Amino acid sequence: MKGNLSFREALKKGAVIYNPVLVQLVGLCPVVAASTTFQQAAMLSAAMCIELIATCVIASALLKNLPRWIRVPVYFLIGLAFVCPALYYFETYSLSSMSLGLKIYLPLTAINSVVAVHCEQFAVKNSVKNAFLDAVASGIGVSAIFLITGAVREILGKATFAGVSINLPVTLKGMALPFGCIILLGYLAALLNSVTAKTYPHTEESEETTETENEAITETEAEVTVIQKTEAEPETVTVQATEEKSVDDIIESATADLDEFLRSLGIDIPAEEDSAQ
Amino acid sequence: MANSSRKQNNQSAKSICADYLIMLIAPCVMAFVYYGARSLLVLASAVFPAIITDALAGIVLRKKIYIRDLSAIFTGAVIALMMPSGVPLYIPAFASIFAIGVAKAPFGSSTKAPFVPAAAGFAFASVCFKEQVFSYTVGTRDAVFGSTSLGSMLMKGSSVHVGTANIFDIVIGNTAGPMGTGCILLMAACAVYLLIRRPKALLSSAGFIVACILMVVLFPRVPSSMKSNVIPELCSGSLMFAAVFLITDPSTLPRKNLNKIIYGAVCGIICMSMRHMGAYEETVCFAVLLTNALRPVFDSAIEKMPSIAKKSPRKEVTE
Repeated sequence: MKGNLSFREALKKGAVIYNPVLVQLVGLCPVVAASTTFQQAAMLSAAMCIELIATCVIASALLKNLPRWIRVPVYFLIGLAFVCPALYYFETYSLSSMSLGLKIYLPLTAINSVVAVHCEQFAVKNSVKNAFLDAVASGIGVSAIFLITGAVREILGKATFAGVSINLPVTLKGMALPFGCIILLGYLAALLNSVTAKTYPHTEESEETTETENEAITETEAEVTVIQKTEAEPETVTVQATEEKSVDDIIESATADLDEFLRSLGIDIPAEEDSAQ
Repeated sequence: MANSSRKQNNQSAKSICADYLIMLIAPCVMAFVYYGARSLLVLASAVFPAIITDALAGIVLRKKIYIRDLSAIFTGAVIALMMPSGVPLYIPAFASIFAIGVAKAPFGSSTKAPFVPAAAGFAFASVCFKEQVFSYTVGTRDAVFGSTSLGSMLMKGSSVHVGTANIFDIVIGNTAGPMGTGCILLMAACAVYLLIRRPKALLSSAGFIVACILMVVLFPRVPSSMKSNVIPELCSGSLMFAAVFLITDPSTLPRKNLNKIIYGAVCGIICMSMRHMGAYEETVCFAVLLTNALRPVFDSAIEKMPSIAKKSPRKEVTE
């Protein structure tokens, strides 16, 4: 996508039409396994949003010219850099009981497939502003699913909401189990599908190229290694292209993107810096 | 053409369900004889929610409501008969709603459902209300072992003495257990009816029962004689009931006869393995659901095996 993406357009595509969890089926593991209560879902979605936005912006600004084979590990390292302080924060501010409830899934957000897919398929191919908007929209889409599933599972499975007990005559323990979440996700996906078909009926016809990208995204979700196999371009071509570019070119393109992004946020950049670069 | 084929499918589904409902009359009467009016209440609490859910699903999905195909009534009745008589009435209702709303309606009709809806409903109830579904203390038959069911005795590894005094009570279902599944003689009669009406469906039942018996002989749960293991295992829970009513469900059966036998045998092995290692007293519904999930394997992979076997000698000749 070469043009500028408006927030509304990004929200429509990232959160609704190509919702990462319900449509692209990435990030299912933390949703199914860890979002058993509303509080856990909120904590997990906050961690994932922060990591997704930060990693996508950094990937778009700095990692465009890296060889493909090293980009995915770098995404994970960037994710760890954001998740570790978040874990420290949760432990420090007496949230350890909730973070312990999330078990391994909170640290595992650092290597989440949602981040890898959005960085690899969108962020490194677009400007920083577009990558930022896409990450925000996808984060909203993921968080919405986390919160809905967390709330429904807590209410039906434990008769509480955000830790506050609700007087329900019957609780369905099965809804707190993974199979209950998978059934719930199935219904949510069907609901989203019908809403999308009614609200955006011409989406599939007008956005064939995006759809093909989306198919590639679902393929890449399964294993990180599949990313290299599913790409049409051979890996050597990318490596050759990076070798031909000098370091100055890489820095120049990265800073140009950053400048554009900062200008879009309303931050003035002195002309001298531009000319110097 | 499409409309006529749909009509034919609906009629065939209706006739199949009618056959199964005729077979279900006998266990329902037996449940009434044993447990009185309470059994009718449990039946009603399962059947009516199933019909209402089916109708609501038709309205929501804007499809023609096929209550006349009788599958909702069949599903509700099967769920009710697998419950104990003293179960709270909301549990069969929830199980029926789940069976129709999750395992049947989203897939269109009973002929397209990949899982047996009644098995899904009972499995859901087992997971959500384990204590109530496997509690036989209220209104139980206590002719042989008091309020302890055969399944729980076998699960604890308790020896079940099978002698001439109590074998008849065990075979006619005069023990603590599910409401309408314990009478093995009735199940045999239903199997004879099915043999006359739809003989091919019984191939899976044969595979299932033979596999169960083999598993009991090879891996007995109780350190006792073979007779004291095989008879209680076959008579406990809903094993024989599932062999007649759940495993023979035509929409989930493989196409070829050999595959049907293998399908039943795999279901039996899974069922007995889960009885050994699982946390639930009754595992046949989980086994049926797992085998339903494996159905495409029976239809595709097993069918390819003979062709591979035939092709390999040709290659040798050409070489």
